[in-house]
Amino acid sequence: MTSIANGDFRAELLDRMIRIRTFEEGVRFLFLEGAMPGTIHQCQGQEATAVGVCAALRADDFITSTFRGHGHALAKGLTEQQLLDELFGASTGCCGGKGGSMHIGDMSKGMVPGIAIVAGGVPLAAGMALAFKMQKFDQVVACFFGDGAVAEGAFHEGVNMAAIWNLPVIFVCENNLYGASTRVDLVMKIPRIADRAAAYGFVGDTVDGNDVEAVFAAAQSAARRCREGEGPVLLELLTYRQTGHSRRDPRAYQPEAERKEWVARDPIETFVARLKEEGVLDNAAVERMRAEAAQRFNKAVERTRSAPLPSKDDLETDVFAPEATA
Amino acid sequence: MPDLAATEGSDILVKRWLIPVGSPVKRGQPLLEVETDKATMEVESVATGVLAETRARPDVKVEVGEVIATIETLP
Repeated sequence: MTSIANGDFRAELLDRMIRIRTFEEGVRFLFLEGAMPGTIHQCQGQEATAVGVCAALRADDFITSTFRGHGHALAKGLTEQQLLDELFGASTGCCGGKGGSMHIGDMSKGMVPGIAIVAGGVPLAAGMALAFKMQKFDQVVACFFGDGAVAEGAFHEGVNMAAIWNLPVIFVCENNLYGASTRVDLVMKIPRIADRAAAYGFVGDTVDGNDVEAVFAAAQSAARRCREGEGPVLLELLTYRQTGHSRRDPRAYQPEAERKEWVARDPIETFVARLKEEGVLDNAAVERMRAEAAQRFNKAVERTRSAPLPSKDDLETDVFAPEATA
Repeated sequence: MPDLAATEGSDILVKRWLIPVGSPVKRGQPLLEVETDKATMEVESVATGVLAETRARPDVKVEVGEVIATIETLP
């Protein structure tokens, strides 16, 4: 079991968050330059939720993601190149260029392609966990969704099903205060999303979603419960989107004071400060991490610009599952 | 002009330039204000350098992808 006191492990958590931020910032400019087709949904400010949860999972555990999935993917082990190629529609992308930003995933790395329908991943995660349980596998599913999902019918059906059958699902609610532009308190009567778990008879917990170590600890304990047959668990991770809902959203609904407050609680900068203070890393090590992330991203961009697009022959591939052999 | 409208690819109205021609500009710094079919927003510079020229006038709609400014970068 990974120890939270391990300096290398903590440095790795930071490195992964920096890689996500670097990727998202780089993609933001590629979009502004007009180099990237379509819109994109980014996760600057929410890196700790993806990294903390995925660090607590095994490589063969699965995650389900949403339309805001770049961070989840990088946290689960997909590479910048796989993602960027997919965002550009290249056949070398993680979904052969047919998915795009909202549907990134890689089954070999334990990530089902992103489910862009709000709350759509919740029943799906319950189904995956049921399959694991019936086959007596000990894998768990971490199901990511936002605060906008918890008033959807699919959410209630999915969590209820997981509850009655004690399925190994960690329901991870990234509560970033807004479902697109709607504040969560306008659409929910209770203050804590984690309390919803009680209605279905399982455990719910609210955690500082900008503290990667707190997220990791909560996810690790949730994964243990799930593997011991005591699932599911609902984790409400309090975080903030430091960017628009999509690239076309100027987020005028976020008050300036609120934005500043959350920037001061930035998951990367607060963790950098903690690691420096505790002598785990010095300035030079952090700067090296940032430089390496930038270099890795820039290299990926160079390759993506000349990556091949799908051909006509690819039109009917990946449409049907191969026939099962008896 | 980046593709910022809610209706993908629709024209975008230039409201005003936030930096005068000849001024230094940083990547990520707001360069101009535009109005889309849904909202008013700032467009950030994609490069660091000097704003050499603006081609889009205020209160005129611009097609997505059109060159609206030139930024001279240091060699």
